[in-house]
Amino acid sequence: MNLWSIVRGGVFFGALAVLPFFGLAHWFLTLLVFVLMYATMSSAWNLVGGFAGYPSLGHAAFFGIGAYTMALVFQNKVLTSGYEPFLLLPVIAIIGALIGWPIGWVSMRTRADVFAIVTITFLFVVQTLAFNLHGITGGSQGIGLPIPPFLAKTFEIPFYYVFLLLLAVTMLITFGTMRSKIGLSLTAVRADEDKAMGIGVRVTGVKVLAFSVSVGITAMVGGVWAYFQTFIYPQFAIDPLLTIGIVLMTFLGGRATLWGPVLGAIILETGQQTLAYHLGGSQFYLIAYALVFLVIMLLLPRGILPTLEDKLRLRSRRQRTEAAEQQATAASATPSEDPVALPGGGRS
Amino acid sequence: MHALVQGVILGVLTGGVYALMASGQTLIFGIMKVVNLAQGAMVIASAYLAYQLFVSFGIDPFLAIPITTVIMFGLGVGVQLLFLRPLKRDDKAELSLLVTFAVALLIEGLLSITWKTTYRSIITGYENDSWTFFGYHFTVVRVYAFALSLVALALLFLLLNRTRFGRAVRATVQNPDSAKLLGVEADRVAALGFGLGAATAAAAGSVYGLLYPFYSGSHYDLISRLLSIVVLGGLGSVGGAVIAAVIVSTSSAIVAATVSPAWSEMTFFVILILVLLFRPQGLFGTVGRGAL
Amino acid sequence: MFGSNRLRFRGPAVVALALMSVGISACASGSSGGSGGSSSSAQSSQPLVIGASVSLTGDFADPGKAVKAGYELWADQINAKGGILGRKVEFKIVDDTSSPDQVVTNYQNLINQDHVDAVFGPFSSLLTVPASQVAKRYGYAFLEPAGGGPKVFAAKLDNLFFVQPAPVVKQGDVFADWILSLPSADRPTTAAYPELDDPFSAPIAENVRARFEAAGIKTVYKQVYPAETQDFSPIAAKIASANPDVIVAGTQSEDAYAMVKSLVQLKFSPKFMYMSNGANSPLEFPSKVGASNTAGITSSGDWFPGSTATGSAEFTDAYIKKYGGTADTIDNSSAEAYACGQLLEEVAKKTGKIDNATIISTLHEAGTTWPTLLGDLSWDAIGQPQGSFHLVQWQGGKLLPVFPTDVAQAAPVYPKPNWGG
Repeated sequence: MNLWSIVRGGVFFGALAVLPFFGLAHWFLTLLVFVLMYATMSSAWNLVGGFAGYPSLGHAAFFGIGAYTMALVFQNKVLTSGYEPFLLLPVIAIIGALIGWPIGWVSMRTRADVFAIVTITFLFVVQTLAFNLHGITGGSQGIGLPIPPFLAKTFEIPFYYVFLLLLAVTMLITFGTMRSKIGLSLTAVRADEDKAMGIGVRVTGVKVLAFSVSVGITAMVGGVWAYFQTFIYPQFAIDPLLTIGIVLMTFLGGRATLWGPVLGAIILETGQQTLAYHLGGSQFYLIAYALVFLVIMLLLPRGILPTLEDKLRLRSRRQRTEAAEQQATAASATPSEDPVALPGGGRS
Repeated sequence: MHALVQGVILGVLTGGVYALMASGQTLIFGIMKVVNLAQGAMVIASAYLAYQLFVSFGIDPFLAIPITTVIMFGLGVGVQLLFLRPLKRDDKAELSLLVTFAVALLIEGLLSITWKTTYRSIITGYENDSWTFFGYHFTVVRVYAFALSLVALALLFLLLNRTRFGRAVRATVQNPDSAKLLGVEADRVAALGFGLGAATAAAAGSVYGLLYPFYSGSHYDLISRLLSIVVLGGLGSVGGAVIAAVIVSTSSAIVAATVSPAWSEMTFFVILILVLLFRPQGLFGTVGRGAL
Repeated sequence: MFGSNRLRFRGPAVVALALMSVGISACASGSSGGSGGSSSSAQSSQPLVIGASVSLTGDFADPGKAVKAGYELWADQINAKGGILGRKVEFKIVDDTSSPDQVVTNYQNLINQDHVDAVFGPFSSLLTVPASQVAKRYGYAFLEPAGGGPKVFAAKLDNLFFVQPAPVVKQGDVFADWILSLPSADRPTTAAYPELDDPFSAPIAENVRARFEAAGIKTVYKQVYPAETQDFSPIAAKIASANPDVIVAGTQSEDAYAMVKSLVQLKFSPKFMYMSNGANSPLEFPSKVGASNTAGITSSGDWFPGSTATGSAEFTDAYIKKYGGTADTIDNSSAEAYACGQLLEEVAKKTGKIDNATIISTLHEAGTTWPTLLGDLSWDAIGQPQGSFHLVQWQGGKLLPVFPTDVAQAAPVYPKPNWGG
């Protein structure tokens, strides 16, 4: 199973890494850049929203913090190679995580639904600050970054690889978490926080750690986004709908799974970007979106991957019983269908 | 000093309207443990209904309230039956957040198709009238709106405290399990409770439409304020929501009048965060249980 | 905050369809198709395809639709005349859902997937900045009717042309010009500046304030308010107690109406009143604030009903024929969008060519001005228009150009009549 996961990851990232060498069209690379960006953020959100069961609606605030940090550092700089802003990313991650720690500590005193409201409140506070601190952020006038000096021919490539790298890092963290004591603790927190505390899980430390790591990654994504857009405004850099998008992607693919958020991001982001382009502006957009949303929630409340897995497991169990009946020996039972390692469905 | 007093007047009058909207939302939470993100969209839908009744039939928005109340009650019951009842899982709280958000988008989409996305205002002819007492201005519409909110809240209290249905609701809020043992049909109470919560949006919508221009996307504005009000008051506490509504709108009006309108919205959120630091359950909430 | 100007909804997600279409188009377009600016000018039989991304959903949906109406109206008109250089004009208009990510994707797709011949701009400076960068990267001229905020020009792009008489920040200068042209006894001595916090409102009032302060007009009140401000009574009350001679308001639309209402409720009427936008809406403004309350309020305009500028009469007739209504119901954004088309037409007529390099170099030619229904336009090296707006004023329930005198249809009235009359 472990081997399988590594092979799966290797194939996925290997394929994505060589993809640009096939001379893809700019519009397709641009689309992939956005898909990778959302996949990274959904995977990061999954750490706290999926595994720990704390549905943060405030992640867009950290996206904005990353974007503004990037913009403030580089606003009047002249770039030579164009790669300088990427070198700032580790610093942005640390800034995001450091701001996230106290925020997580305070807001995680509350539980699920109140937590969601408190985090979205934080988002509005950050947005108001971005609007009102004209001297620093430029307020509603926004703030510009230098234009990336990359050739038009390969313009998207650097952004593509940086997001690919960020996604790989995030998924490695997720993978490591799922296989460690931390993952187990988070799942315990999600299942029953009081009980988890009772059996000696360091509840506060574990969940605040997950929150900080998650928002640190989100801040880095915001930084890259700001450089890609070259200009940021408060309403776009700190946008409640960004969080909603991430949450929806994670729910669609499957919470607390390694691949669910990535799958959700691929489906939703391509769906949204292509449909808006190809179908023009029909008034029925919002309604279609809401209905898809409702159908997912009502029919696949656990997301695509866990539901598929249930189906597969059911079928293979049936096959197994049939096989057992026919051969009267249990030798053919497939070992790949072990019981789930983590109660939260932490497989695939 | 004059600006301060004028700010307090404005805040208290506005607070009454928000109290009405928030009471419905907190009631829904109390009964079903569902944070209804569609409450703002329902208010805006009611505002559109009131607008249309006024434009087509000349019905004054205040007089339209009985009609819109019935419609919104039906809508609320429908939403509960169609979208919320099927959620039976242990993570219902999280899922219901998303489901009600989707319902809000659905309502927004339907409103955009029906009425486009231009701003609408209900222009009655008395919306610019004002009274002056001792140099302080009282806008006529605001005073009426405040009075109406008081009446609607009083009716809600009577309904909850003096009727069989109200007793069933309060029993469910306090302890769903023992309410069931006592013969309360939880499903029916939930559906009717959601309808009741939506019905408060009807009255609030008429008032909102009179006070402010609105369009289909205005519900985002509302919902962020409503959420801070109900969490501040303590989720599930109607009395708490009323007091919280008045506290936040008064303080933000004071900030707007004395400091700057740019910071007034922030007062909502700062008060909320400060209160939650010391009382995670809100001002009047009780841990684990709702209270009315 | 969920301010109305700060939120918009981003598109939909009907999943299978999207995946299919991506799959198909990805296979189809094997190699990077960065067709440069000078594509296909020779094939005169082929239609001339112009791509534009406007907001048909989300926050900018209404002005977005007005822009779309203007583009399409111009296409109808030019096609009736036989097209540009014999080529039929077709528009490919896509929705950007008012999102900056989507606008980037859309111009990428228009240029590199559909290989359109030219692109026009979206609505709002907020979306124009990222869009103009994409157009620049592939050598496309970027005529844009609706993004004139200061930051649009900060990137100093040579392919960008803002198709309005002047950059947004200078929109109010015509009011300052008029006030400062008055005999000093008639001039206001104190001024109040309520300003909406967005890139196309507050800077207008700030620009006027700088001019007024230099001329000795004292600032007695200045307040920037956020987009989600609903209650204007605190602002109105403070203005009333400061008792200024002139109110210079940097407004957008609903905030302008709400501010007038609050001033009416407080019964405070200044001697002069200027509102950058909102008050120049011929239909909405009187219906929202009451026709009798509009008297004497001034604003800025480029196109106005009854304008005698090039092609204006033709535009007005065609608009009413196609979309109905009266001249008063025409949104300025439609006229500005239409003017983008007029410019293409002029470039083709002058050079006999219609490729992006030609459009860029021709429109930049020194000393030439370009006649449009907004008046004669010309640009500096980074696309800032060099003209100025007209001052318009409400008189007898109608919005009339009153300054400068060469376009004026009536003399400006001052002091402003009291509310209700």
